[in-house]
Amino acid sequence: MPRLIPIVFLALALLAAADAPAAEAPTRDEYVERLEVMCKPDAEATQRAMKGARGDVRAERLAVAARKFAKATAIFGGTVKQISAVPRPSADTDRLAKWFTYLNRQESYLGQITAQLRQDHGIKAQRLTARFIHTGNLANNVVLAFGFNWCSFKFSRYG
Amino acid sequence: MRRLVVALAALAALTATVAQAERAQRGNLIVSLDGGLSPLALPRDRPAPVAVHLEGGLQTADRSPLPRVTRIELGLPAQGVVSTKGLPTCPPRLLRDAKPPEALAFCRDALVGRGSLRASVALPNQGPFSVRAGVLAFNARIDGSRVVLLHAYTADPPTVAVLPLRLRRGSGRFGLALVGDLSPALGPWPRLRRFDITLFRRYLYNSGSRSYLSASCPIPERLTAGFFSLAELTFRLADGRRIGTAIARSCRAR
Repeated sequence: MPRLIPIVFLALALLAAADAPAAEAPTRDEYVERLEVMCKPDAEATQRAMKGARGDVRAERLAVAARKFAKATAIFGGTVKQISAVPRPSADTDRLAKWFTYLNRQESYLGQITAQLRQDHGIKAQRLTARFIHTGNLANNVVLAFGFNWCSFKFSRYG
Repeated sequence: MRRLVVALAALAALTATVAQAERAQRGNLIVSLDGGLSPLALPRDRPAPVAVHLEGGLQTADRSPLPRVTRIELGLPAQGVVSTKGLPTCPPRLLRDAKPPEALAFCRDALVGRGSLRASVALPNQGPFSVRAGVLAFNARIDGSRVVLLHAYTADPPTVAVLPLRLRRGSGRFGLALVGDLSPALGPWPRLRRFDITLFRRYLYNSGSRSYLSASCPIPERLTAGFFSLAELTFRLADGRRIGTAIARSCRAR
């Protein structure tokens, strides 16, 4: 009997561990709600940080634009890190994995654009911007059914 | 007319190569917008004649019936120039009962574009059916305001609808707006599903050539291309909701 008690406890603990992720997994609506709360302040901060960036590029103030892109990159990276830690709806894990792949790619492009602007390489920055926008649109399409607002990519927020 | 054909062909080639339309979803409703400018290569420092092609749509994720659209708003960049000086206008009354050949006979000089509309019609006690209408766009003035007058005609069932899109000052990045209220006279049954329109017109005024639409690509000398917000589409629905999306496109400097 004394031996049976630890075995029962172990079995119960294993069962509880197996059940835990399923119990924590939110519904899609809950997930969207949690993410939107996180994305909203960052999206607004991005808008503020990028204000006038397109005008800076047009006026060839690439160093000024680079500083704005650097801020946007930091905000974007912070948001992705924050939202990637949120438990995902179990039915959407594959789709969200794809979304995060695109978001990571966008973050990388933003970093590369910043670097190219710092080095005064306007044309390279422009090519990377095309990829950044394209990847943003692909990311939006993956999570279209989620109906994100603040967490979706909007070109208009970038200056 | 030959120029219009060339512009349409160029736009067809362009839309075949660009990515699919940008889409946004609210609840089970999906709005989409696609489009482009032709030509893509534009002067940096002065506006040049362009054609603008836009395609928008509304669908439901679960294929449930579409809600009724009461207003369409199309935002366009403020850098675009709409010139109507010296361009003839078309009085709406001439289009109300006119088939396309008659509409063109009355108002060909005011023609500024063409397109199409698709709608689902759900009549009570009948299965829903689709209608496709050809669209002619004319320059007009209503109460002193500049208007793009859309003349939509479908042969089956034979129906003519005239929709004025008022040209207004927009806000923010979209400094121009085309706003059209769908008349309640159309009834509660037609539900707008898709539209596409290409606006382009060259005309002579004071022995000079002018273009209905012009745009530039204002980027620095050392850059070859730039990005800009081309258009924003917003549908206002009968239940008061609004749904919209915007698209960004590139231009090349020449």
